[in-house]
Amino acid sequence: MSRIDSRLAPLLEHPALWRGRSAARVPVLGTGFGVLDESLPGGGWPSAGIVEILTAARGIGELRLLVPLLAALTHTLPARWSVLVAPPFEPFPPALVAHGIALESLLVVRTTTPLWAVELALRSGSCAAVLAWVERARPRHLRRLQLAAEQGRTLGFLLRLESALKESSPASLRILLEPTRDGARLKLIKSRGGARGAVNVSWSVHGDG
Amino acid sequence: MAEPVPRRPLARPAAAGQLDLLPPPVGSRTVPAVPVVPAVAATAGTAAGARELWLAAYLPGLAFEALQDEFASTGPRAVLEGTERSLQVLLVDEAARCLGIRPGLSLVAALALSTELETRVREPARERAWLERAAELAFRYSSRVSLEPPDGLLLEIRGSVRLFGGLEALCRGFEAECRASRLHPVCAVAPSPLAALAGARAGRALRVTSLGRLAGALAPLPLAALRWDEDTLGRLASIGVRTLGEVLRLPRAGFARRFGAPRLALLDELAGRRAAVRRGFQPAERFRGRCEPDYELESLEAVLAALEPLLTDLEHFLETRQRGVTLLRCHLRHRDRPPTSCLLRLARPEARAARFADLLRERLGTLTLPAPVRRCELRTGALLARPLANRVLWGAGERGGEGASEEGFALIEQLRARLGRDGVYALGLHADHRPECMVHPLEPPTGGAAAASAALAAAALPWSATRRPLWLLAAPQALRERHGLPVHDGALELVRGPERIESGWWDGTDIERDYYVACDARRAWLWIFRERAAPHRWFLHGFFG
Repeated sequence: MSRIDSRLAPLLEHPALWRGRSAARVPVLGTGFGVLDESLPGGGWPSAGIVEILTAARGIGELRLLVPLLAALTHTLPARWSVLVAPPFEPFPPALVAHGIALESLLVVRTTTPLWAVELALRSGSCAAVLAWVERARPRHLRRLQLAAEQGRTLGFLLRLESALKESSPASLRILLEPTRDGARLKLIKSRGGARGAVNVSWSVHGDG
Repeated sequence: MAEPVPRRPLARPAAAGQLDLLPPPVGSRTVPAVPVVPAVAATAGTAAGARELWLAAYLPGLAFEALQDEFASTGPRAVLEGTERSLQVLLVDEAARCLGIRPGLSLVAALALSTELETRVREPARERAWLERAAELAFRYSSRVSLEPPDGLLLEIRGSVRLFGGLEALCRGFEAECRASRLHPVCAVAPSPLAALAGARAGRALRVTSLGRLAGALAPLPLAALRWDEDTLGRLASIGVRTLGEVLRLPRAGFARRFGAPRLALLDELAGRRAAVRRGFQPAERFRGRCEPDYELESLEAVLAALEPLLTDLEHFLETRQRGVTLLRCHLRHRDRPPTSCLLRLARPEARAARFADLLRERLGTLTLPAPVRRCELRTGALLARPLANRVLWGAGERGGEGASEEGFALIEQLRARLGRDGVYALGLHADHRPECMVHPLEPPTGGAAAASAALAAAALPWSATRRPLWLLAAPQALRERHGLPVHDGALELVRGPERIESGWWDGTDIERDYYVACDARRAWLWIFRERAAPHRWFLHGFFG
């Protein structure tokens, strides 16, 4: 049995092959949280595409969840921008630096029409990740962003409010984030080729750890 | 070098009286191969001259071409010259020529031949501007360009011949480029600048590359190509000298006595026996272009379409200098409103017309035109050295592909074109203890220097910076109080603190605060502070989320 498995394994890894729960291997980026990596298809964030993260309010952990990813991306060579589009407050540089993020690869875009900027950034191919705080987005807008992300090989995070839960979305991954005492509880609402369910990730909330 | 002109007679002098005995030269082949240049004439000037090769471009129709945008019709047109009392036809177009209108006719006679004739008086200032335009074009072919006003250009092309694939290809390329700019030059090439110019003015496409062949090629050219005054030409004609070959064969001493040493020096320059010094053309340091369409431009698309040729000119202007600009000003003038202007700033020097057009589209898209546009003007800031574009095997984002380089700056420029300069920024860290003073928007870094400074800043953080929130409010938000404790969506639980921050007494924005980490009912982690001074109010300053 194990011999067959070992011979099958390379065939099963073919990118054109899609198998229910264990998705074909696509390049992924580590989330920095072991438990989350295990439950995501491929073992991490997809390296290109759109991921939606929904929260009840702004600034309750959505950026903290992505900080390890940003820290890794901003130190990757060749350098590509990581872009924050329409963040709800001012990102505070001391904390970002303390979490290992290289500020010189980070751009902040202030705009009242975030979708346009997001699409531009995703499509340009010069960004590794685009984090966008978006209020309203229609499914067809999201589809456009999805295409742009694939074209530019960029990972886009749409950070939206819980109210968007009812709308359909073409994103391959949708996560509902609820803060807990020592981290967050992540509900995988939609996870193409991955497990559904919820995981608890923990982090040092206010710098004690 | 100060006295290079050999004053002694030529080795085989041809006396003026003997001229009639010689067979008149009909073509270059009938002229003896080495008739003029004697061995003694090989001065330093000649040696220097042999290494140079000059292309002369003569623009016979410049007076007409400089005014071609001014004519309203495409019918019979003529350019006039002279005082108001006695205007004469100087140049005509094909339609006028068919009607029998010839240069030299008086205006009255010309109008008698055709009442539809559209006329303009020549404008030397415009001609000069167009000549300089041609000189700009010529800069692609040589770095040594000099103007020969009113209607000629000289380029030293010895070093460029191979690069452009041979003499013929170079000449054809230059002519084609001029024609694209609606100029029609006659080009001639010779080792001495005057010879090339004489050839071009005579309408001969000379291609002489060696001094040995020069005299033979010059011989059949008419003397008028030298543009000497009528008096001199008349006197020369009276002794039977009508071509360059004939004048070059005159005895030197006699010629100098009759016509003066300066003219002899000119002849030596012509034959390449004496080095000629030319004043180089200094191209403009900034680009200024404008267009005035015949009709008013109402829509943005129309304005962009009108700007397109200007941008192409700009690209060419920058290409020939291998420069780029980071500042581009566009003025749109209206009939009776103040002009609309927009300023384009680029993250790094740029020269491509398509890129400028993209950015202008974004930038102009944010403007509303108060009135139709009558005139568009384009100006640049200082020219800057431009890094040459790299071609890479991998696309952006692929392995080994260049990331935040070319496309990265293009992205910033495009975002800024619409969102304004402050719409896109990088985060900087300022060494200060006051939270609001640590945030410091920066220009997006363009190189390693910024990276190094940011790394230094990180190393110099004075305290455990993980105790700082990820988010800061732009301005602290006052919190309500209940029983002396702050409230934000319900009672707040103070988790850690206080951490006292007192600083800034020296610049008038001093703070005295006790910071706490608090947790609200929704499990959001807040960074709040209490003022030490009365009335001890509570404020929300950040989120740890």
